[in-house]
Amino acid sequence: MRRFWFKYFFGISVLFLFVGCNDGDEVIEKKVIKSNLIESYIEEAKNRENTVKQRKDNLEKAYNIYSTLADDSYKVAKIHQISFGYYGLSDYDRYREMNEKALRLAKSLNDSLNMAKSYAYLGIFYRSTKIDIAYKNFYEAEKIYSSLNSENLDRKKIAYERGKVLIDLAQLLQRTKNYSESEKITINAIENFKLAEDDKFLSICYTNLGTLAKYMERYDEAVEYQLKAIEFDIGTERETLQRTISYNNVGTAYKSKKEYEKAKEYYNKALSYKEFLRKNPKRYARLLDNLGYVNFLSKDTADIPELFYEALKIRDSIKDTRGSIANHLHLAEYYRSVGNDSLAILNGWKSKNIALELKENEELLKSYEFLSEVSKDNKEALKYALAHIKLNDSIQNQERLSRDKFARIRFETDQIEEKNLKISKENEILIIAILGLTALFLLGYIIFRQQQSNKELLFAQTQQEANQEIYRLLLNQQIKLEEGRQLEQQRMSEELHDGVLGRLFGVRLSLDGINQRANDGFTEARNKYIEELKSIEKEIRLISHDLGTESLPSDVAYIDAVESLISDLCDVNKINFEFNNDENIDWEHIDDQKKVNLFRILQESLQNIFKHAQAESIKINFDYIEDKINLTILDDGIGFKSTKVKKGIGLKNITSRVSQMSGVVQFLSNTNAGTTVSVSVPV
Amino acid sequence: MIDDHPMIIEGYKNTLLGENQKEYQIKIDIASNCDDAYDRIVKSAEGTAYDMLFVDIKLPPSEDGRITSGEDLAKHAKELLPKAKIIILTMHREDHRIHNILKNINPAGFLIKSDLTSSELLLAFNNIVKGKAYYSATVNDHFRKMMTNKFSLDEKNLKILYHLSRGVKTKNLPNYVSLSLSAIEKRKNQIKEMFSIAKADDQKLLEEARKRGFI
Repeated sequence: MRRFWFKYFFGISVLFLFVGCNDGDEVIEKKVIKSNLIESYIEEAKNRENTVKQRKDNLEKAYNIYSTLADDSYKVAKIHQISFGYYGLSDYDRYREMNEKALRLAKSLNDSLNMAKSYAYLGIFYRSTKIDIAYKNFYEAEKIYSSLNSENLDRKKIAYERGKVLIDLAQLLQRTKNYSESEKITINAIENFKLAEDDKFLSICYTNLGTLAKYMERYDEAVEYQLKAIEFDIGTERETLQRTISYNNVGTAYKSKKEYEKAKEYYNKALSYKEFLRKNPKRYARLLDNLGYVNFLSKDTADIPELFYEALKIRDSIKDTRGSIANHLHLAEYYRSVGNDSLAILNGWKSKNIALELKENEELLKSYEFLSEVSKDNKEALKYALAHIKLNDSIQNQERLSRDKFARIRFETDQIEEKNLKISKENEILIIAILGLTALFLLGYIIFRQQQSNKELLFAQTQQEANQEIYRLLLNQQIKLEEGRQLEQQRMSEELHDGVLGRLFGVRLSLDGINQRANDGFTEARNKYIEELKSIEKEIRLISHDLGTESLPSDVAYIDAVESLISDLCDVNKINFEFNNDENIDWEHIDDQKKVNLFRILQESLQNIFKHAQAESIKINFDYIEDKINLTILDDGIGFKSTKVKKGIGLKNITSRVSQMSGVVQFLSNTNAGTTVSVSVPV
Repeated sequence: MIDDHPMIIEGYKNTLLGENQKEYQIKIDIASNCDDAYDRIVKSAEGTAYDMLFVDIKLPPSEDGRITSGEDLAKHAKELLPKAKIIILTMHREDHRIHNILKNINPAGFLIKSDLTSSELLLAFNNIVKGKAYYSATVNDHFRKMMTNKFSLDEKNLKILYHLSRGVKTKNLPNYVSLSLSAIEKRKNQIKEMFSIAKADDQKLLEEARKRGFI
């Protein structure tokens, strides 16, 4: 679901990007200038030659420009950068403020990556003061990183960031003595750094693992981890630092294992980096103190208490009061072993007081324990013992509380997550339901439309059938009429030829015969009339011949119907017409549908001519060319501008009828040049 | 005399019984249909045979349908009365019919009614009695035309030309001539070749046919 929305927003932002581009390069240029300015201010803030105030002013200027930027991921990145500036200047409150802003912005942009970063940076702010809030922030960051797996993002970069967060989480857990959980998370961090192919933090991870192993009394493992930690820093500037840290830790591990010689060896190894240690007196003091204590434990008293005092001197000079707690305690133990109780108690006291002041409970606990043992006064001893027990309880309590808190944070975060999941699931169901309903509605609508169009089709079909039926009836009528006429003509022809003509011949012959015999002076006149009779016979024979000729074929019926249509309409409208039918068209075998269509087209065209053309004469032709019937209707009317006239229903009907027969139609016209409609239909 | 029109018989009689009565003893029997005529011919063949037969072509057919025209009747008469002179008198003057009758019957006289006058009828009668054949001008014309052509057209071809000249379309010809359309087309082309006007259209063909007297 979130990814869905992400894509959605991504899509919109891309859209905006496109729209934005139309504004020209100006906006982009401005942005570039601004970001350059911010960059330079931040650089300036890093410059150690300037005073702290100047540097802060630069950061402030950067922030002022930043606030004019449009809200986007870039802006979040910039605010992170500014916050680092404040961190570098130890202005931690500003650092927190900036990151809280960044977090809000990232949330409003739904920018998961920057949200996680902001959480992590806030965690860094809280990790030394409020471990539960720190834990909460780191946990949120880890949660986001673990769910980020979009292909759009750089996997390595995410793994690197996630590894850093995991180290922090592991260290917080270690502080609450939740060692096994811490170990697990550290290993997870290592895996992430390996994925990121970045060794920078691996030494820290292994150091962490070593420390955890020591706490869990797996000393060999601890040594192994500590030594391995060095490997990752070989050749880097951190190498010496890591070596001193690791060797110190190895020594401590051996000390805990009571292998004091080995411990000494490693402390001395660490102490051999004199150049480095001179610059790091705190580490140097710690190493001296540790070496002294191991010597004391191994009963090698050659260099003690000098080593302790040397360490203490350094610590006092650099005000490392925290380190001096252990230092005093070591001294106290030494003095007790040599029987100098007063000095032992004095150092125990010092240790206890500093620890109390700094709230270093672990050390305080040790001080109480020591003081209760060393006190001569039973009452005093009992007091320290009780304080020890009470503190021990409270520490354990504190640790348990922290652990519980962490668990609760995890639980609550997961619960919110689950709630979100539930809500998104509900949303999903809702969307699915809406989609389903929409689909159903669409389906219904489509079916409805389908039925409607089916009905229309059916209607059109019946109409067509009716049309054909009408035509068939018309044709039958015509044929019957024709047949009747022919029959009658035939009868008349025969009647004339055989009957009338025969009888006339008989009469003439008789008259002629009589005329031969009679000699009354009128022979000539009668001969003239006989000749006349002969010519009448001839005429009748011709008439009979004409009547009998060419019993009209049945296909003439269609052409007759067409011709009568034309002549009827033209008579009514008083227009001359000329009609030619190519005798090669075999109308008898042409589809009725086509005949009806051509008939209707002709009708439609004639109506157009009568209504609009103001024509005086019309010429209509049926031609047969290459298996096509060409119907041409030509008039000498006023015509029209082919391009200007919008197609009326008449023309549309013609076009649709022609396309029904998969033919071609052409309307050719121009003002005052008449109109030609030519239809060409395959047989 | 065989004719279904009494008026025509009357005319023949009027002509023949006028002056010829002096020269010849003429006894006339009349029949107005095929059955009647056939009966009389059969009867006369058994008794006194007819010397001369006047036969019309268009006659009411016999009831059994065997004899449908004067042509059929004449054929029978030639068998039954071989010595009798047959005179065909007909209203039809179409070439193919004339041709047919001449071919099938070869009558002693062939008269076309529309040309016929009483003097011509008398002339024909006298000639035939003397043993000379007589054909009317139209028939003679037909003969002449046939003779001038180096070839003759058969009945079917003549029919085709005849019907074409009447304005019948080629594709409708099968209704008039008992041939298929393709056969008719073939014959038409043959005729055109004979006329040495191959590839000419129908109008040309008819003109040529008219010139050569086939129509």
